[in-house]
Amino acid sequence: MIDQFALSQAFTLLFTDLSPWLWVIPGLLIGLIFGSIPGLQISMAMAVFLPVTFGMDFLQAMLFLTAIFTGGAYGGGVTAILMNIPGSSSSIATAFDGYPMARKGQHNEALGLGLCASVVGAFVGYSLLMLLINPLAAFVLKIGPLEMVVVVLWGLTLIATLNDSSMAKGLMAGFLGLMLSQIGMSTTGIMRTTIGNPYLLDGIPVVPAMIGIFAASELLRLRGSSFLVQNEAQRNISFALILKGVGQTFRHPGTLLRGSLIGAVIGAIPGVGSSVANLVSYGEAKRTSKTPEAFGKGAPEGVVAAESANSSSEGGSMTALLALGIPGGAATAVLLAAFSFHNIIGGPSFIRDQTDIVYSIILGNLGQVVLLAFLGLLSLRLLGMVVRVPLAYLVPSVLAMCAWGGYGITGTIAGPLTVAAFAGLGWLMRQNNYPVAATVIGLLLGRMMEGEVVRTLQVSGGRPFEYMMERPIALALFIIMLLVLIGAPALKAFRSRRASHEPN
Amino acid sequence: MVTGKISATHAFLLGLVLAIAGFITWSATQASTTLNNLVVVAPTAIIIGLLSIGIVAKTLLKPATEPSSSSTDKSSIWSDILLLAGFSAFCFALTNVGFDVATFVFVWVGVLMCGSKGKWQPPLYALVFTVFLVKGFGSLFPYPMTTLVL
Repeated sequence: MIDQFALSQAFTLLFTDLSPWLWVIPGLLIGLIFGSIPGLQISMAMAVFLPVTFGMDFLQAMLFLTAIFTGGAYGGGVTAILMNIPGSSSSIATAFDGYPMARKGQHNEALGLGLCASVVGAFVGYSLLMLLINPLAAFVLKIGPLEMVVVVLWGLTLIATLNDSSMAKGLMAGFLGLMLSQIGMSTTGIMRTTIGNPYLLDGIPVVPAMIGIFAASELLRLRGSSFLVQNEAQRNISFALILKGVGQTFRHPGTLLRGSLIGAVIGAIPGVGSSVANLVSYGEAKRTSKTPEAFGKGAPEGVVAAESANSSSEGGSMTALLALGIPGGAATAVLLAAFSFHNIIGGPSFIRDQTDIVYSIILGNLGQVVLLAFLGLLSLRLLGMVVRVPLAYLVPSVLAMCAWGGYGITGTIAGPLTVAAFAGLGWLMRQNNYPVAATVIGLLLGRMMEGEVVRTLQVSGGRPFEYMMERPIALALFIIMLLVLIGAPALKAFRSRRASHEPN
Repeated sequence: MVTGKISATHAFLLGLVLAIAGFITWSATQASTTLNNLVVVAPTAIIIGLLSIGIVAKTLLKPATEPSSSSTDKSSIWSDILLLAGFSAFCFALTNVGFDVATFVFVWVGVLMCGSKGKWQPPLYALVFTVFLVKGFGSLFPYPMTTLVL
């Protein structure tokens, strides 16, 4: 599976002098900053710093840009934990349990859990990439719209499990998100519900909507409190407690490994990536947990599942880029641009002819992950200070940053107005115990779902079920999904019923 | 047995959801009635309608709980709404007035609305924060940003 000669050349390229590593720490810091500020996206950071790579050699440029990618993925999780603001759609599920942990005064442990799960997840993702780049590339080539429908459907099933008070409210919130995702031009080019507003042609901008419904609505409700963590004694930033959180991560080895594997596989699917991976991983962790009722209220397992999956999906997303020359998302598209600057074309010939460079990129990323662990630990003390800021100052400041973030994404008034509209909707939903996360999931996956369903209908000539019989991967995924969703809970219920009938 | 009532905010939310779902469905069917156009809209609209009926029925039929909307709760709700209105005005003012002035005014007023008692600290903090945002955050934006003073 591994070309030994190319691997030794890769070690030589990376370790004979330090030049490839010079830009890694600045890259990680840039990523952390962009990832932890709402509205500044990782792809934006990579695009802004792309011209800097003109003067670098190819390996140096790749390590710099992927360091931004790695740092940004983790930075988004920090704000999700401390302020309920997922830096990107890949950190949505981190906020589900990370923020409740922070509110309970367990912010140190939550940050440690998030960092450790991210590091392990990214390590597993890149290690799998190293070992399986060729078979994974072949797998990615077999993914069609029907397979994507099944994967997105799997992500959508999480809606049913997110309910604060009743399943009906969870479903209602999810379907509202699905409905809102239908605003704008459809996959087939039909205009819907644009009310003559050009800003709605592309639909509702998802990230500003997410910032509004998650963060701004929560900030409105925090207005009456004095601090994010009410107990003064728990407001300390403790290195020991962060390390305790790091240690706690390994108490959930199954969740950690499953999240990492889910992330690597789903991350490899172009266009789906980390935004679905973290949701699927969280959903699976909740379904298989012995204490599913603790999820959403500050369960460490939830943070581990989400962070391990979104970080390992980074390695997965590199599969399609390196092996096929297909960017799986905005960040890998910027990496592809860096490829073209250096006259390199990704794809099978790149892997065949320049295996040493491919291995160098992967090994370099594994090294970055180790550096992230140290840099993350050092920066957490600073980032964690947010719990010491009085809410009277924090609430308006973060609200202002949310609106600015909305503008930073769209570049028009549509961004801040979307944040405001969704802040209102989120406030109403929270007032009445509707899970806002379900709406975000519906909004995020609805458009993707529609596109893939329409493509499946077109490819199958209107006979999707017959078509599924010809698609073994889709069929297998569908059967596994049914077994996980229906079979596992049914078996659990059967066992508990049998146990209750057995005489003591 | 005394049954429950739907609170004003819950009724408003359900009305809003139904209005949004109804309008999007109407708009989509007006645009095209092909399967490709309605493959998500139509089933979602039906499910939202059914869920609304279920939620309303469940709320009305279940036994009434202790009334929780004390005068403190009501005043808290109105304070939240006031802050939300201020935030919406701020979002609108960003590009229409200027990012600097809008941010300064919103943060100053926001700090006071959130309970700060100081006289000089809120405007000073708002000023420092605005300069930090405009010169720091704003310089990272890939888009032009309207400012009035800075």
